[in-house]
Amino acid sequence: MDFDFSDDQEQLRDAVRKWVDKGYAFERRRSIEQAGGFSREAYAELAELGLCGLYVPDDQGGMGMGPVEGMVVMEELGRGIVLEPLAQTLIAGAVLSGYAPDAVKASWLPRIVGGEALVVLAHQERAARYRLEICDAKSTPAPAGWALTAIKSVVPAGDMADAFLVPAIADGKLALFLVERTASGVSTRGYGTQDGGRAAEVTFQNAPATLITLDGLTALEYAVDIGIAATCAEAVGAMDQTLSITTEYMNTRKQFGVAISSFQALRHRVADMKMQLELARSMSYYASLKLNAPAKERRAAMARAKYQLGISMRFVGQQAVQLHGGIGVTDEYIVSHYFRRLTQMELTFGDTLHHLGEVSSRMQDTAGVFA
Amino acid sequence: MDLAFTPEEQKFREDIRAWVQANLPTDISHKVHNSLHLSRDDMQRWARILGKKGWLGHAWPKQFGGPGWNSVQKHLFEEECALAGAPRVVPFGPVMVAPVIMTFGSPEQQARFLPGIGSGEVWWSQGYSEPGSGSDLASVKTKAERQGNTYLVNGQKTWTTLGQYGEWIFCLVRTSNEGKPQTGISFLLIDMKSPGVTVRPIVLLDGGAEVNEVWFDNVVVPAENLIGEENKGWTYAKHLLSHERTNIADVNRAKRELERLKRIAKLEGVYADTRFRDEIAKLEVDVVALEMMVLRVLAAEKSGKQSLDVAGLLKIRGSEIQQRYTELMMLAAGPYAVPLIREAMEAGWQGDHVGAAHCAPLASTYFNMRKTTIYGGSNEVQRNIVAQTVLG
Repeated sequence: MDFDFSDDQEQLRDAVRKWVDKGYAFERRRSIEQAGGFSREAYAELAELGLCGLYVPDDQGGMGMGPVEGMVVMEELGRGIVLEPLAQTLIAGAVLSGYAPDAVKASWLPRIVGGEALVVLAHQERAARYRLEICDAKSTPAPAGWALTAIKSVVPAGDMADAFLVPAIADGKLALFLVERTASGVSTRGYGTQDGGRAAEVTFQNAPATLITLDGLTALEYAVDIGIAATCAEAVGAMDQTLSITTEYMNTRKQFGVAISSFQALRHRVADMKMQLELARSMSYYASLKLNAPAKERRAAMARAKYQLGISMRFVGQQAVQLHGGIGVTDEYIVSHYFRRLTQMELTFGDTLHHLGEVSSRMQDTAGVFA
Repeated sequence: MDLAFTPEEQKFREDIRAWVQANLPTDISHKVHNSLHLSRDDMQRWARILGKKGWLGHAWPKQFGGPGWNSVQKHLFEEECALAGAPRVVPFGPVMVAPVIMTFGSPEQQARFLPGIGSGEVWWSQGYSEPGSGSDLASVKTKAERQGNTYLVNGQKTWTTLGQYGEWIFCLVRTSNEGKPQTGISFLLIDMKSPGVTVRPIVLLDGGAEVNEVWFDNVVVPAENLIGEENKGWTYAKHLLSHERTNIADVNRAKRELERLKRIAKLEGVYADTRFRDEIAKLEVDVVALEMMVLRVLAAEKSGKQSLDVAGLLKIRGSEIQQRYTELMMLAAGPYAVPLIREAMEAGWQGDHVGAAHCAPLASTYFNMRKTTIYGGSNEVQRNIVAQTVLG
């Protein structure tokens, strides 16, 4: 039982925080949003910090770090609502090094670590929503590997990525493939997202695909769980900053001749926000500390965590806007950007109702952190 | 960072579990597991069993006869007791007044009072609230006038939990009206058998008389029963409150009661109803999140590297959860929660239950638990405190 961060973890946090504060100020973020929502340059800076290789083992050129380091990094990126999708890179690093054939590892991992290749998960389909086992995509054997046909939705930075991790049915079973964006038969339709970032609809028409694993559901669940833990941590960072922006505003904004932070109705709202933040932080720790647990235990933990985080994100985001009053609903002021980011994170890797259903259907007689 | 308990802590847990299993009377745990009425004898029997082992003051340091456990060990002990169905230790003696006596009392006071508290022989009550002093505790009016070697005490305390059994009571009394209200308060120990002390039960909404009014009419109290210095009582009282921290969240009991809620929901046929089961699922996440928050506090206390100021949050969340599981149990019973048959809440009743026996106490328990968001500093006062830490 230990919830302290090691000195190395604190140093990692400081390094990322320094970059976010100096290198990713609000003005830069705004210009990235206006330029389409994804910056190769900023992404390369994340790679320079070593973050793209966080979950890639040392012997494959990465940093070989674990979920707690991942959590620390994502909290700090969340604090600065960084648009470049590092959670996707954590997924790609872990899934490829865990499941891919050696040749694929050798070809892709160094480029992922170096930031030259952005590999993202393209798993969402219209009929499946957040359910991972439902998949229309098909893959069939082809002379030089596999040919994959699919339509995947809301793929993060989909028209900027270099390759996709794509679940598809092969021989009646869910398998996981890697497909390059520039491969024949791949087309993308990119667009901006609610948080200022970027995503795309990606269509695969008999696209040449490389098999990662035939045990695709296992790999996909692992991928999504890494995404959930990362999103939880990112949300904690974003909520922490949202609360701090809100309290600073309340202590300066005057109405009826006094700072609005003197009104008890508003103070109690802040107390409720602090409650949601600390519950969320507790469950983010829980998610990261359960990420290496056996699959069944891990899945149950992620559902619990994402449910709590969803509740917290919505509450903290909505109340932050409310407590700001009119300025809270403007684009000019920073708090609305946090609200939009928090809202989008609730809708990522399973929303609150989805995960409530997961918790409910997995419920056992006993419960608790260790049950 | 590590979520797991160490092998030593696991071993510690197993030892505690074995001891509790061997020593907790099953007639008592049966009552706890079914929310049946606990008598004074039930509570005191368990207190004496713990006292004999030296664990009634399980949080006490070794120098005063406690086991000297760290925060994690204390938690594991409390959890094993709760899961096994042990009654909550009546806190006024071992948890509340004892740390004050240890920290601020004289060696004579320590020698005189601590043994009886630690053994479970002497029943203590708390004399804080007054009719005019609820959340605003510093406004207490009960007066103690110094007359030579004694104090003359006059006034009224209220909401004195289980005061009908009390033998001694620790009181906040007013010894001065000068300066701020907080500066004129003293901390006095009073023998409830003294002439002029009257205890009157207050019947609560569940029909039970768990709390009392305590009247002091020219009660003569030896000056040697004053803790520390005159007019410094507020400081000592605040120290006492700081000992209630993770305890008040009561997450261990919540885990036990969540299991019971699932059992009752299954027996009453609502567990299969998605709409009902989802409500339990929400509570399950609430309980896990509260437990994680408690574990963070314990780990921080153990390592000493972080200070986590979340006591107010633990009180708010813990009490809300207590209310919610009693509410859901009542809703699971549905119409069978309606009959009010007092005898059916006593162990061993042979009469005809309406519906299943487990339904009988559910509504009363629900009503009773409304107190949790009011006592120990109401949840609204807690929100003021939390907001203060965030906003300044």
